[in-house]
This record gives sequence, C-alpha cells and structure tokens, in this order.
Amino acid sequence: MRGRPLLHTAYVSDQALLNTMTKKVVVGLFVVILALIPFGVVPGIGFLADADWLRLLATVCIFAIGGLGLNILTGLAGQISLGHAFFMGLGAYTAAWLGSSPGAVVGLGLPIWIWLPAAGIVAALVGVAVGPTAVRVRGLYLAFVTLGLVFVGEYLFRRLVTVTGGSQSGRTFPSFEVRLWKEEEPLISFVADGPWFGFDLTAEAKTFYFLLVLTVLFVVLAKNLQRTRVGRAFQSIRDRDIAAEIMGVEEGRYKLIAFGISSFYAGVAGALFASFVGRMIPEVWSLFLSVQFIAIVLIGGAGVVSGTLLGAAFVTILPRLVQDFTAWLSDYVQTGEGLFVWLADIFISTGVGDWGLVNTQAGVAPGLSVAQLNQVLYGLLIIAFLIFEPLGLYGIWLRIRNYWKGWPFTY
Amino acid sequence: MTTLLERQTPAASVGYPTAPALVRDWAQRMPDRVAMREKDFGIWQEITWSENWESILDAAHGLLAVGVRPGDRVSIHSEDRPEWVILDLATVAVRAITVGLYPTNPAAEVEYLLSDSGSAIHLVEDQEQADKVMEVIDRLPGLRMIIHVEPRGFRQWDGDDRFIFWDDFLELGRSHRAADPGAVERVMAEAMPDDVITLVYTSGTTGPPKGAMLTNSNFSFCVDQVVNSEGRMGQSTMLRKARGPNPDDIILTYLPLCHVAERIFSTWTSVACGVTLNFAESIETVQTNLREIQPTIFFSVPRIWEKIHATIAIKGRDGTFFKRLWFALGMRIAAVIGAQRVANDGDHTVVSRILHAIGYPLVFRALKERIGMRRVRFAATGAAPIAPEVIRDLIGIGIPLYELYGMTENSAVATANRPGRNKVGTVGEPYQGIGFRIDPDTGEIQTKHAGVFKGYWNKPDKTAEAFTEDGWLKTGDVGVWVDGTHVKIIDRIKDIIVTSGGKNVSPSEIENSLKTSPYVKEAMVIGDGRNYLTALIAIELDVVGDWATRHGIPYTTYRDLTEKPEVIELIQSVVNRTNEKFARVENIRKFRLIPKELDHEDGELTATQKLKRNAMSRMFGDLIESMYRS
Repeated sequence: MRGRPLLHTAYVSDQALLNTMTKKVVVGLFVVILALIPFGVVPGIGFLADADWLRLLATVCIFAIGGLGLNILTGLAGQISLGHAFFMGLGAYTAAWLGSSPGAVVGLGLPIWIWLPAAGIVAALVGVAVGPTAVRVRGLYLAFVTLGLVFVGEYLFRRLVTVTGGSQSGRTFPSFEVRLWKEEEPLISFVADGPWFGFDLTAEAKTFYFLLVLTVLFVVLAKNLQRTRVGRAFQSIRDRDIAAEIMGVEEGRYKLIAFGISSFYAGVAGALFASFVGRMIPEVWSLFLSVQFIAIVLIGGAGVVSGTLLGAAFVTILPRLVQDFTAWLSDYVQTGEGLFVWLADIFISTGVGDWGLVNTQAGVAPGLSVAQLNQVLYGLLIIAFLIFEPLGLYGIWLRIRNYWKGWPFTY
Repeated sequence: MTTLLERQTPAASVGYPTAPALVRDWAQRMPDRVAMREKDFGIWQEITWSENWESILDAAHGLLAVGVRPGDRVSIHSEDRPEWVILDLATVAVRAITVGLYPTNPAAEVEYLLSDSGSAIHLVEDQEQADKVMEVIDRLPGLRMIIHVEPRGFRQWDGDDRFIFWDDFLELGRSHRAADPGAVERVMAEAMPDDVITLVYTSGTTGPPKGAMLTNSNFSFCVDQVVNSEGRMGQSTMLRKARGPNPDDIILTYLPLCHVAERIFSTWTSVACGVTLNFAESIETVQTNLREIQPTIFFSVPRIWEKIHATIAIKGRDGTFFKRLWFALGMRIAAVIGAQRVANDGDHTVVSRILHAIGYPLVFRALKERIGMRRVRFAATGAAPIAPEVIRDLIGIGIPLYELYGMTENSAVATANRPGRNKVGTVGEPYQGIGFRIDPDTGEIQTKHAGVFKGYWNKPDKTAEAFTEDGWLKTGDVGVWVDGTHVKIIDRIKDIIVTSGGKNVSPSEIENSLKTSPYVKEAMVIGDGRNYLTALIAIELDVVGDWATRHGIPYTTYRDLTEKPEVIELIQSVVNRTNEKFARVENIRKFRLIPKELDHEDGELTATQKLKRNAMSRMFGDLIESMYRS
C-alpha cells in the first residue's frame, strides 16, 4: 500500500534489505558517488582521485571484506577470534601458490578465477577444521585458542620458505589480471593504465573499481546472511547458546558454519591484500593484523554490516590523517607563532633537543613515532568505544536515528 | 441522493440487495482488489473480493448442506476475523439469522444467548470458546453443530461429530455446490426486505440481554443514512469533491463485530462501498496495527478515544528536554486551533488554518503518524457519551472527529454531526427525512423511520414497551435541542439522579469530565435520593502505577495502589478540577477508589465495558454507605 511503510503484505517487503524509499535513495546515491570518485568530479571530495588516496580507498575495500568476515564470526555469531590474520595468511599463500608464475618459490600460474575463490575455500576448510575447538571452549578460552593459531601460523609461514619466501625477502603475489588460462596477454588488467569504454583510467582507478565491485558483492552476501535461517541461528547462539540449543539450533553445526564463512572472507581478503601490496614477508600475518580487524569490528559496531564498513574506513584512513596532521603541525610549529604554537610544541618534537609526545623525525629526538602514535590511538579508541558506545560508530548513528524515529515522542 | 435500493434496481431474478448480494457485485466489478486483510505470521495476508465471494458461497452451501433453513439462527463466538464476516454474510445469503457473541461472554451468558436465540449452528474461534459452550451443551437441545476455526486443542473431541473444522466445513460446502451449483443464489433471490438478518443482543445494563431483530431493510436504510449519505465524510470545496466511502478507503476492524456500531462501520460499510477491512490482531495490538494500517475511516468508542488522548498527553510529557519543549509548543498551537474550530462549527478559521500550516510539519504530522491517524479523513465516536474536551483536543491536532448518536433498536440512525456543522458537545442533527422528536413531557428522544427494528426476539411484551402508543421508538435517552438544530444528550432516563434536595443531576457528564484525566479509568457518580453527590472511581493501573514509580511510591497490587494516601490525593486533585467546572449541587463531596479492577466476567461491566450500575451499587454497597456516614 502506498504511503504505508509498515503495512507489509508479503515477506519480500517485510524482509527487504532496503525497506524504505529513503534507504534506497541514500544507498543509490552513495554507490554513484563512489563510482565517480576516480574522475574527481564529486564536489568537495575531488582530492580522493589522487593516486595515493585511491590506493587508500582500495585498502579500505580489502579491509572491509576482511572485517565483514570477522563481523560474521564475532558480531553475528558471538565467537571471539584472534586468529583472523592466520586465515588471511592462508588465503594469501594459497593464492600465491596457485596464481604466481613459478620461480624461486612455488607457483602454478593459474588465472584469478581459480586462485581467488580457492584462497577463500582453503581458508574456509581450515576454519571448519579448527571449528570443533570452538564448540568445546567459549569466551576467553576461545580467544586463547585462536591466539595460539596466530603463533602457530606465523611459525609455519616463516619455516615454509618454498611457499612464503621466508622472512628475508618474502615473495611476490599474483596481480589483478584476468586471464582465461595461462596466456601471455591478460583479458582484462586492473593494474595497467589505459582506456576503458572510452574513459582514460589509471591503474589505481581500475584496481579501485575491481575491489569496489568485490566489496559490494561481499556486503550483499553478508547482509543477506543476516536474514537467513543460518543468520538467525548465529544470532541466537550469540545471545544465549544454551537457549538457542533448547530451541533446536544445533550449536556445534552453526559454530562450524560461522568459522567456515568467516574464514572464507578472511582468505579472500588476505589474497586481495597480498596481491594488492605485491610483495610481503610472513611476519605481516601477525597478532597486530588480527587486532586491527578487531578494532574495525568494535569501532564500527559489532554485528552490523554498515558499521564494519565505517570501521574499515576509519581504521584505514586514520593513520593517513594522523600523518597529515602531524606533518602540518610540525610545519606550523616551525613557521607560526602565538599561543597555539606553544601548545602544539608541547605535543610535537621537531628535532634534536625538542621534547614532545610525537616525533616527526624518527630516531633524532625522543617521543613516539607517527606509527606508534597510531597504535596508541587504536588502543585508546577501542577502550573508549567499549566504554562509551559499545555499538560503535553505528551506535552513534543509531542514537541519532532513534531520536528522530520517535519524534515527537521519546519512545 | 441515490439510495441503495435505487442504485441497484432489484431485478426479479436477483432479489433484494442484501449484504451478500453486494459482495457478489464487488466480486464482479473488481475481483482482484483487496476486500480484507488479516495479520498472520507477521504479515498482512490479503483476501480479494472474488476470493471473499467464493468463500461466502462455499460457506453458504455448507450451511445448506447441514440443513439450515431460512429463519434458522447461526451464532458466532469469536474475535474479529475474516471467518466472522464470511459466515455472517453466508448466513444472510441463505436467509438465516446471525447471532453475534462477545468473546468475553462467560459460559453462563453463552448458555443464555444460545438458548434464547435457539441457535442451530455455532461457530467458535478456538478451544477457549469451545470449552464455554461444551460446559452448557447439555442444556442446549437445539444446537446441532459447532464449527471451529482454529484446529489446535480439539483433539479431546476427536470423534465427536458435533464438531467440524472450518476448512472441512467449506469443503462440505464445495461438494454441495458441485452437486447443486445454483442453490445459494436461488435462496438469495427470494430474500425479502422484511427478513431478519441478525439478532443484536443489547448490552443489558439492567435485565438480561434482549435480542433486537434487524432486517434487510434496516440494513439498507442504515447504510444510506449513516454511511453513504451526501456530505457525510467531508465537504466538497471548489478544488476537491467530497467522496463518500469508496474502494480506496481502509478500515481497521477491532471492536466486537457483534456490536451494532462495529457491524455498521466494518461489515456494512465494506459491503456497501467496497472499503477494505483490516483485522487487528487483538485489542492489545490496536496501537501497533493502527500505525501499520493508517486507516482512512476510523470509528471508535469513547474509551479508546480517551486512551489515545491520554497517551498523547503522557508520552508528550515524558520526553527529553528539547522534545518536551517542542511538544508543549505544538500542543499550545493545537489548543488554539481546537478552540477556534469548535467555536466555528468544526470548520477552519483563518487563524486556525495558519496555525495548522505551522504546526503540521512541526508536530502534528509525526504525531498523527505515531498514533495511526495520519490518513484519517473521517473519524467518529459513539455508543457512549464522551467529554467534549477530548473531541476538542483531537480536532486541534487535525483529526476530523464527529460524535454520532444512535442505538441498536434504530440501526444507529438518529443524529450525527457533519463536516462543517459540527457542534462539539452535542450529538449532532437528526438525519434528513427521518422521524425524530423529543417528547415535551419527559424529554425523551423518540424516532420513527425505516431503520427501526422489528422487535425483540421472542419478547413481544418487551417490544411493546419499547414503542409509544403512536408507534415511535422510545430510546430511553433524555435530550435537549441546542440552537434549534443540534441535539444534546443529557443522560439515560433511568440514570438521572434526583438528589434529596429535588435537584436533577446528569451523572454521565460529571463522570466523563472525571474520565478525561488519564489516571481515571471509570467513574460512577452516586446521589439518587441523597443529600450530596459522591463517586466511586476506578484508577488506570498502568498510568497511576507509572506515576507512583516515578514518585518513589512502592506498591504491590492494584488494591495496594488504591490505598496509598498519595494516590488518593492525586485523584482528589482530579475531582477538584472537575468540581470547578460544575455548579455547587453537582460537586462531588466524597469519593472512594474501587479496590479491584472492574471486569466483565465478575459482572461489574457489560460486554461493551459499560458500568452495570445496579450491580456496582450492590457489590460496593459498603463503600457507598461509608461515604454517607457522617
């Protein structure tokens, strides 16, 4: 019925992903804006068309896919995992083994339509194999089991030099090129400049588009999962596993499924990440990477797809902003004057003899490096969000929305 | 104005335009439009006009198959649901008589109603209603068959061939229809204007309920007057022609269908005008269902309007600081609009139009959306007296609310307020061309028209009592003329209090004023033959409980709450405010809070939630006497 958004006469409308006109319009506009970014024509955010910003946005897409995976496991099914980096590494090395051309390290030179899904599938299989432990332990114990996984993984990756290239040089990974089989010229290349449908696009723009399409695909899958029988089973286990079992939800089975799906996402994200960076050493797949993904899920909002996207953007772009800000600040301290310079000078150290919290010239003066400052900020943000807004960035939005939803009442 | 009869000239083969015949017309004219919606498993399942008509035919054939003859009684004991309407119309189609029971009727009343009406076929909704009839079935020799709509809980009666499941009943009808396809339509064609189509049992505030017989011609007259007469639901302007109820309109059905008011505003309006009916899940979910459905035509009883009125006030005060401020501003605007429109016969003035243009985007639009009244183009109240303040405030936020007056015995055709001629505090003007008079001696309202009922079922003496010697229906209500055109109801004749000082007092006016407070659920003013007036007051548990919690007053039960001095003080302030509005002799000197929640099953209320004054006086005699002891 027109003009009656709450009157549902079929489950299709009741369960629609974009159930209101406003949502349809906003999401549509958002996708259009994203698609226009590489052209630099969107007023206000034209600078995003720069190569380094496009690379950053591509990273956001990869981290969003990985974050969605952890969100399904932690946010939706309630199973804490510190092992996300391990599954990403598995995906990356599966992709490398299958996709790279043979050389100093193993490689079969298969095309992307094999190695990308395979990365996910191998990770998923290992995830399902690990899953049974999660059925036996929960909470803090599960965190420790998965923590162990990361260390075991890191050790293996370091030792399996024929696959990973070892800590010294690492190895290269296959690039974003679509081939039918092993022919010389790729059918489509996302890593070379050139015209597409009459538009002259840079390699960065093409990579961005490739990852954007994949991200949209995985977002739709994750959104859809939430409203299926499996998704509802996950949520019931998260909210109370014993009650879920009493209602007939097979806890063990669904935990396995959760680990499987989550690991699939992680494997694909790992393969994309490695391939995007090009060359990597095994130490990348460490606890720190896992923590970054936990930060994405928690800062964005556990259990919410759009929250994970916000979290991925936030965690990826924050270092860049901090870097730009400290650079600008250090400039300002040297050239400007007044009270604010004096305050800024306390914060920043610009050279020998200058004491400050942050050091822009590493090794010359005491203080945190910009990278260290970023880590401190993550930590502080996770603490702050857990205390003040457990639902994350999405929770802030939720509050604003509910304020207007109840208008003119409060409830 | 074309009446129902003129619109559909009855060809000899088609017969009288009875309610089921009208459904047949809609099914031919717009087979795929939605006739009914019912919420089931979380979504609103739709029934089209053609499906509706097919079900009615199947059910009617089913009735023929089990041997129902013209004039037999078919009783229905169920909450509102499509099966109610389908069986009702199927019964009329085979010229039998529908008897509706309130879902709250206890077993003893079920026995009375079924034996008084001599019902042959009985429909129960679920096991709860089945238990009631099974308790008394030995004393109901005429009852041949019980149809149940819900399948659950009936295993205990497996093999009892008096029971039949609704789907099986329709299947029975289908096989009868296959054997004799035109049987129902042949019976329909024989329908006479004088055929009784339903017994509507009066609520019985005094004696046992009496079954008022309404006929086909009562139905036609009522539809033409109450629902479909010109200018009924809006005024034509230069820009827009006012439309009567039509297939674009949407109604929420939630009051008991056995009551004449809901029958008129749901079933009859729907079949006469093609309006879509939506069945609320239950009385508890009405608020939610209203928001979902956003009806365009909404009839309710004062109890519900008072509740909506109170909800707005309470929720509006219970917000964050900014929202409270904003809301108070909106209500200030609404108060001015309400006062302006009430003074202008319900029409907008220049001032109110400007204020509405300001207030609508700020508050009213969202507010009406929240209470489910955003799309209401015609709202009505009736069946009991209402306080004018409630109407005024609701008109203020833009709900076009009109008070109507009528009773079962005259098919609810008596007086109505109309758009542009709405005098708040009156029940409106008599319908055009009907016999309507106020007896100069007693002040009693009397009517005489084609909507007046045929009589009480099997009670010729009671029927005779209901009419004057010259054949006018005695309504039992005292009324006076206002400005020579509108009628104001004073009270029921038998309820008017004569104090020992000889002063006549209308208790309902005082009671309604008390009930405008959200804290007061029911009030009964006492004082017949006494020195002064007193009142028994029942508090609204939710609201007073919430108030007590906020003021840090701990309580355990309803009774405990009514005994808290703070609560008594709170109600005293409500009484004081009412007293200020009335003359000295009409002031309530003392009151007592009723220590229990009033209930239909305990005999304090009728099925329509009206107070049974005699029963109340008997049950709470001690409380009453305690107020007159010096």
